[in-house]
Amino acid sequence: MTAQTRTRRWPWAASALSLLGAFTLAMVSPADSVQGDLVRIMYVHVPAAWLAYLAFAVTFVGSIAYLVARRLSWDRIAAASAEIGVYFTGLTIALGMIWGKSTWGVWWTWDARLTLTAIMFFVYLGYLALRRTTDDPIARANRAAVLGIVGAVQIPLVHFSVVWWRGLHQPPSIIRPDGPAIQDSMMLVALFVGVVAFTVVYVSLMVKRIELMHLDDRLDAAERAGDQPVAGEAVTAPNLGGSA
Amino acid sequence: MSHWGWVALAYGVTYGSLAAFAASIAIRIRKTRTTLGENQ
Repeated sequence: MTAQTRTRRWPWAASALSLLGAFTLAMVSPADSVQGDLVRIMYVHVPAAWLAYLAFAVTFVGSIAYLVARRLSWDRIAAASAEIGVYFTGLTIALGMIWGKSTWGVWWTWDARLTLTAIMFFVYLGYLALRRTTDDPIARANRAAVLGIVGAVQIPLVHFSVVWWRGLHQPPSIIRPDGPAIQDSMMLVALFVGVVAFTVVYVSLMVKRIELMHLDDRLDAAERAGDQPVAGEAVTAPNLGGSA
Repeated sequence: MSHWGWVALAYGVTYGSLAAFAASIAIRIRKTRTTLGENQ
């Protein structure tokens, strides 16, 4: 294994190690007095939701930074983060459905939190679709930046929906006015380590997704160069007499 | 289904989808590098 290969693989290694640690803690933490072992779903559901928020917040920051600095590197960060955010939102919904069926008895209900999360999922799917409407990188970045900024309004809406509207979904477990609802220190540690592990995974996915975007840009440039015949292949460029 | 059955389903969905998502990116990187003529 070359040093370059080792460098390319560190994100995967870091993700696997952190997820292994989070999984171990989630399994050895105590069962809940009400939900029993079903509480272990919280250690993946809550981190997935937090990472969805973080990813869309990074898209928001990247979109603003692009409009201010007009550098496509910011647009790449915003796009990569949105793609990963859509994945984490989808995972949050899937895990919520599993938790819902096992505790509420239904896969889905039109609760404010669930409905707003589903809307957020489709808005950011729309963001990714919008990016595919043009091949012009500047137009693509401009259009996406507007939706990346407007879409971020949903982050506080989704998070505080359980406070503002009464529904089936439980209120926030950690960030709440009267302090965390979880009192058991082992449960808090398992949840915290879960969030850290998912953050490591997010950073790793970002590094790799941005690497892929750079490679795609190079491939596009090479293809464009290949499409246009180069004069030097057939003729010698005329010497116009000017100094170099 | 038992509580542990639901937990196993949740963790299977989580770790399975994470592995699939990461693998899709890794495969696309490998393919693009190959197209560009870069060795792995």
